[in-house]
Amino acid sequence: MNDLSLSRLWAMRASFLFLALVILFFHLLPMETTPRRWAGPDLLLCFACAWGLRRPEYVPALALAIAFLMSDLLLQRPPGLWALLALVGCENLKSRGRSLRDGGFAAEWVSVAMIMVLIMVANRLILALVLVPVPGLTLSLSELGMSLLFYPLVVAVTHGLMRVRKTAPGDLDALGQRV
Amino acid sequence: MAKDRSTSSDFTGPLRRLLLAVLILLLGAIFLLWRIDSPRVERFRAQITDRLVPNLDWAMAPVTGTINLLRDFQSYQRLSEQNQELRSELRQMQAWKEAALQLEQENARLLDLNKVRLDPRLTFITGVVLADSGSPFRQSVLLNVGARDGLVDGWATMDGIGLVGRISGVAQNTARVILLTDASSRIPAVIQPSGQRTIVAGDNSAAPPLDFIESPDLVRPGDRVISSGDGGVFPAGLLIGQVTADPGGRLRVRLAADYERLEFLRVMRHYGTEKVTDNAQVISPAGPLPVQTEAEAEVSE
Repeated sequence: MNDLSLSRLWAMRASFLFLALVILFFHLLPMETTPRRWAGPDLLLCFACAWGLRRPEYVPALALAIAFLMSDLLLQRPPGLWALLALVGCENLKSRGRSLRDGGFAAEWVSVAMIMVLIMVANRLILALVLVPVPGLTLSLSELGMSLLFYPLVVAVTHGLMRVRKTAPGDLDALGQRV
Repeated sequence: MAKDRSTSSDFTGPLRRLLLAVLILLLGAIFLLWRIDSPRVERFRAQITDRLVPNLDWAMAPVTGTINLLRDFQSYQRLSEQNQELRSELRQMQAWKEAALQLEQENARLLDLNKVRLDPRLTFITGVVLADSGSPFRQSVLLNVGARDGLVDGWATMDGIGLVGRISGVAQNTARVILLTDASSRIPAVIQPSGQRTIVAGDNSAAPPLDFIESPDLVRPGDRVISSGDGGVFPAGLLIGQVTADPGGRLRVRLAADYERLEFLRVMRHYGTEKVTDNAQVISPAGPLPVQTEAEAEVSE
């Protein structure tokens, strides 16, 4: 019944931003100063997708935009573009969350994979169009692959540790209405 | 109930959609602004980093320390092996040290004979690495010295041995160093002993390739690569590394700096190479005649 309270809603919104900060913090640790052949998963995007599909109200568009823009600024990417694409992708997933709620995990995984591939392709396409140097293809592909591989793990953590779960058919939302 | 819901979503739906549209426009505008006026947005980025990262330092230092400790712990397992290797290396090094000392004395004598004056203004300031670039697509580190300490964009950065990169982006308390391995790094260099000019062009790999070598036949793997100072923005004579050839036959430079562990970096103060501005003057037995300016020339006419 804790789900009902408004304070829990805001606590979860704040904890998403905190999660984003923690992910950025571990990215920024001065551990890797030599170039790598492969890239790790984009955990921020994975968590945003997982949360957005489960509880869209915990990750409002504003929080997503802030988190992605901060990651753009701190990780030396062209600011705004990745944030824009990731925001559009997550909003698209959020709007489809209701129909994906009844399907199994495989359906969710496939739709998340499609969104991530589209984000990457669009990112490279737009960068090439405005004549910005495009990041290396192997790095981008490995980041995409790792993100997709890690997605089930992220979902498990979201579901098990963070207790962000899909709404069951009888649940009530913060205002006491049936979702 | 269902009707309630639909009315409430009628009320909040358009608002939410409006907010989303505004956010999308805003992010698009930021990207376009960055594309059009990159320096301004990069300054903004440097300021954001300047605000945020030093505040996280108290948490970053212990976490980094712990992870490094764990990594070191793994290497303890093959301690005796390492000991043997180090001992044999040490024997070789002692021979080299003897050779180096003799060469140093000889060098000092020759410099003295030649009355060579080394550049006395090349002093340095040491900074601690606060953070790395955070993404595998960029190779840069953040130092804890900035405009407060008089840093200027473009200064060279070294670890104890070789060149590491160049300052690019200075905020009040922090400065970003673009490493030589970054895809956007280009440093003019000269290859000794053949004296070939080249550009060390980073490409996100551990050994940056050498571009624009006039006659690659004169260059052999093992030659030393040092910065040339061409263009006047970068000090000359800093060691970059050694030439190697990759399996494809392309010449690359194996960097002398230890990129595995960048902890303390030296930023070399460099105020530009001075230019000779005097014109040629007429010399009489009494010494050089003062230069006749155009105004004086008109008066005398």
